Amino acid sequence: MPRLTARERRESYQREYAFQKKHGKSFFPNAVFHDTIVSLIVVALIMGMAILWHAQFGSVPGEAEAGRIGGLLGPAYEAKADPGVLAYDPRPEWYFFFLFELLRLFKEPALLIVGSVIIPTIWMVLLIGWPFIDRNPDRRLSRRPIALALGVMVPIVLLTLTFYGSKAPGAGGAVSTEPGAAAFANGPCSTCHTLANAGTAGNVGPVLDEAKPDYETALNLITNGKGGMPAFKGQYTADQISCLAGYVATWSGATGTTPGPSAPSAKATYPASCEAAGGDFAGVAAAGG
Amino acid sequence: MSTLLPPPGEIAKIPVDWVEERSGLVSFGKFMLFRNVPKDISWLQTLGSALLTVFILQVTTGILLAMYYQPDPDTAWTTIKFITDDATLGWLVRGMHKWGSSVMVVLLFLHMGRTFLFGAYKYPREMTWITGAIIFIMVMGMSFTGYLLVFDERAYWATIVGVNINGTAPILGPALSWILMVGPQISTHTLSRFYALHMLVIPSLLGGLIFVHMLLVVRLGVTSPPWSRMQVTEGDV
Repeated sequence: MPRLTARERRESYQREYAFQKKHGKSFFPNAVFHDTIVSLIVVALIMGMAILWHAQFGSVPGEAEAGRIGGLLGPAYEAKADPGVLAYDPRPEWYFFFLFELLRLFKEPALLIVGSVIIPTIWMVLLIGWPFIDRNPDRRLSRRPIALALGVMVPIVLLTLTFYGSKAPGAGGAVSTEPGAAAFANGPCSTCHTLANAGTAGNVGPVLDEAKPDYETALNLITNGKGGMPAFKGQYTADQISCLAGYVATWSGATGTTPGPSAPSAKATYPASCEAAGGDFAGVAAAGG
Repeated sequence: MSTLLPPPGEIAKIPVDWVEERSGLVSFGKFMLFRNVPKDISWLQTLGSALLTVFILQVTTGILLAMYYQPDPDTAWTTIKFITDDATLGWLVRGMHKWGSSVMVVLLFLHMGRTFLFGAYKYPREMTWITGAIIFIMVMGMSFTGYLLVFDERAYWATIVGVNINGTAPILGPALSWILMVGPQISTHTLSRFYALHMLVIPSLLGGLIFVHMLLVVRLGVTSPPWSRMQVTEGDV
């Protein structure tokens, strides 16, 4: 085929499409018939999922205000949201798992923004601007090697991220009996942070065994939050925050029963603050929360 | 008298002609339906209309849910519980809305993948792709704002994490978090704001954009698959 200018190529496409349209078939009823069949299948699928979901519900909870359990497709609803109850392992809806997993890949606080903002922004710009990036006029896949490679790679990457995101650990593992460990493991800390001593393997936030924050740093972060980390001031009492900060400073980067390198920074307050805070307070609503 | 009346077949046409003469609605409908598409379009090209069906389903079930739901932290969960446990077929309406959103996201990916593999975003359909990409991002926004409304533990904590992730963006991030939550933490106003975004702001923009997307599809025509053997022969057209 002789090389065509962009304008000639556009005119050639218009000619070709006009021909296809002229020798085509009417949208109604031909295409509408196929569309209707697929739409009916999709509606039946949605209804089927709703029915399967409903079929596996447990009994209706009473005034105790607990959630209503379900089966394969999840619960009808969980317990009513209570900002006081901090023992929760938050998970996004499944179609945000890829984003959730992307965040877990960037554990360093300084790099968190790469996963949370930079990559999603680049991805959105590429998505919207794609027709201007791919200037190859050919539509046959055999002549679009780069597009084909992307078309195969992007779904694989998304599916892989979604798969690992769905397996992302929240709380779990063996909890040590050190003061503050139970509060850490059963509380919201465990969702995002890995701390071997508490047996948690969250990866949304920094791995504490690597970050090894000192007492002052931990105290400040738990109190005021930073980036993706919520502020717990008002949710936990000063003693409870001090206890958690002391626990994190002492036992992050620990080997066995030997405290970690930041342990000395917590000496004055830990574990006394945990006694003042009253043991495992993870599930206890803080006063004035 | 009877001779003055037109035959029965003509009577039915009177209101149709009346509307057509004053709005052109009938010719618009004909323009949308009775247009030619290439002979060899494939079953893969039914995903867009399936998405329209799911959107209509989401709007319908969403309106039904809104008739019972109260966006107030004290009663939101109780109304969800009422819809699920007590209201007649409430579980079906809520279940279809909930699973409809998942199916919609899957169909969006498939529809986009089909468009990509067909090269259907190329000239002259670049704007159709761009509107579609914005529709995709808006649907993800619908999913995020809808998640909080159930107001159970899962909804609450997942939203906090989501909003805080937004908050990591430089400059705009913290402001965006503040605007979404209406303050430093989830409150009465957060729930109303998410409710307004979820059932007023995003759906109306989404509906408008879907209409534009469809007009573009009708105007530019459906692509024939890249493996199409229909070629212009000399002397034709």
